[in-house]
Amino acid sequence: MKRTLALTLPAAIAALAGTAFATPAVPDAAARGRKAFDRYCISCHGVDGDGRGPSAEWLDPRPRVLTSGTFKFRSTPSGELPTDKDLHQTIANGLHHTQMPRWSPITGQERSDLVQYVKSLSPRFEKEPQGNPIAIPPQPAFTAELVKNGQDLYGKMGCANCHGDTGKGDGSSAPTLRDDWGYSITPRDFTSGPLKVGDEPRDLFKAFMTGLNGSPMPSFAESITPEQSWALVAYVRSLRKP
Amino acid sequence: MARKLRWIAVIILLAPALRAEAIPAFARKYGMSCTACHVAWPIFNQEGQNFRDNGYQFGLGKDDPVTISPAYWPVAMRTTPAYQFTRTTNQPSDQGPITVQSGGVPLPPGVDILTAGTIAKDISFLLVVAGFGPDGLASVESAFARFDNLLGSNWLNLKIGKFEMDEPASAHRGATLTYGYAVYGAHPQGSLVPFDMGENQVGIEIDGHDARSATRYALSLTSVNGGEVLSGRESGNGWSSPMVYGHVQQAFETGSPVLPWVRVGVLGGIGWWPTSFVTDGGNPIPGTYGDHKRLTRAGAEVSWLMGNAATPLFFTVAYQHGTEAAGLAEPGTIDPATGIDLSTVSNSFDGGFAELDWVPFAESSYNSVPWLLFARYDGVRFQRGTGNVDGGTIGARRYLALGPRASAAIHLEYHYDRTKGVGADGPSGTPLDVTTQALLVGVDFDF
Repeated sequence: MKRTLALTLPAAIAALAGTAFATPAVPDAAARGRKAFDRYCISCHGVDGDGRGPSAEWLDPRPRVLTSGTFKFRSTPSGELPTDKDLHQTIANGLHHTQMPRWSPITGQERSDLVQYVKSLSPRFEKEPQGNPIAIPPQPAFTAELVKNGQDLYGKMGCANCHGDTGKGDGSSAPTLRDDWGYSITPRDFTSGPLKVGDEPRDLFKAFMTGLNGSPMPSFAESITPEQSWALVAYVRSLRKP
Repeated sequence: MARKLRWIAVIILLAPALRAEAIPAFARKYGMSCTACHVAWPIFNQEGQNFRDNGYQFGLGKDDPVTISPAYWPVAMRTTPAYQFTRTTNQPSDQGPITVQSGGVPLPPGVDILTAGTIAKDISFLLVVAGFGPDGLASVESAFARFDNLLGSNWLNLKIGKFEMDEPASAHRGATLTYGYAVYGAHPQGSLVPFDMGENQVGIEIDGHDARSATRYALSLTSVNGGEVLSGRESGNGWSSPMVYGHVQQAFETGSPVLPWVRVGVLGGIGWWPTSFVTDGGNPIPGTYGDHKRLTRAGAEVSWLMGNAATPLFFTVAYQHGTEAAGLAEPGTIDPATGIDLSTVSNSFDGGFAELDWVPFAESSYNSVPWLLFARYDGVRFQRGTGNVDGGTIGARRYLALGPRASAAIHLEYHYDRTKGVGADGPSGTPLDVTTQALLVGVDFDF
């Protein structure tokens, strides 16, 4: 009985506290994931996940430094760790305009194991809880008025400094931008193609409200409302050339 | 004549398989290791299959030539300097049945030059020129253009040119280097038809697949003779000897760590081969073909992974039934068992293969799959006549490099087969069995 209590108490506390506890990698799955990582990932992300594989120097943008625990594409607030689902989605869907392909053809088991292995590469997952996904309110109709509001916000929030007045990613600050590892980083050109992480309006909404960790793109969660974020989404989507 | 036919039968059944396609130009383009797309080069994994099915595209905006470095050139080469020893028993000679042995290192060893890639979104190509061996000759092994996502759907893609038909296991991406899948080139005794599924065919293919290539189909209209003049009995025209061929595959993910993935497939083909020609001095005049006779192929396969999908035991078992109508055997071909002239009756065969490719472990290095062990059984049984074959091939590949730029592997392989009744006549006057053994040791370079 004592043993049962000892086993269930931490789990119960964790459940009560939501994800307030760190959720490190599951060892068995991470061990399997290591084999998949060796097979699929190390030419770019490196043997140790440090983003320094033999192909890394030739890739733009550079492969993620997985040991840092810093991930651009998340559903969680700025600075926080991604959820397992976030990592799984990046692996399965790939990232547009990068050399990260879709790994959806491989088995779901392999992708899940890779998620656990990626978590094992960074000590942050041992120490910090993974974040909770932000709430995304229902998407409003993208009316002309909403687009106009978004255009005003685009100017007011200084988006044009990096992304340019017309959204082509050619703002005055663009040539000087660096990521956390000192590599040059190009702001997104909103006039063409999908975002790296996806092409749905909710993907843009998430990017505005979570920021892209490790990059100069901040989170606006503290400075704009969800309604204003949707207005920005509406405007940025309107910049897309057919 | 009978002696010549025996040699032809042996050659057709046991055509060497020293040819393959593996394209490190793609690894260079995307910066990915060979192991990303191959169970072990050159055998595709599901990621590689999907990449090929998508017309050499990952589809995330980095496929078009204009998005990559101008220094990139989509060319790859493969060469396999190797020592091969071959021993074949019961060959006819003026002195009676003899055993023929040969061994050596072809110099130069031959080179495959491969270029493939995308010209624009959804337009791709492949060109393989193979040869440059001791005879100095080279030939176009593959040459096709491919148009993907017609009508905006990955279920409708078109390929035109000379290409490998969609097969249960690729004859061009197999692990073995000595002898190919016997059932692909199987024909009854005395057959006039040179069709070999393992060879590339000329024609068009419509194919499609779901997003993960779990469900796939391919339907092709090709020339049975590969569009090449082989014996003067065909026109050399791609449509003088047509074949309609289809192959459907469905993969299932089980979620089990023991048996994570199973794929099943069925195939069918029907072709026609001309049997009468206008002649000049007794020789057929190309382009005057007629009186076509039918040949068919039908089969099924199952392949599955066992263990960790990244270090799998990869099994493939395939079965095929083939028929050839009366008139498709050389007149005067006599079945030694029954005395029947095989040109007057239809004939058929059943055959297949069972193959195991095993990646025993992975290493945390840029040569992450250091070993591939492989074994295969081939068998073919004919309804009438001689030529039943049983064969086995085992081998190992020790990969020295499997990086994102080039690959190299030490290759060791042993092959043995026995073909019934295709050798020289024995003391009783009936043809003897022929056994063939081959040993190959070489280095397979892909760069």
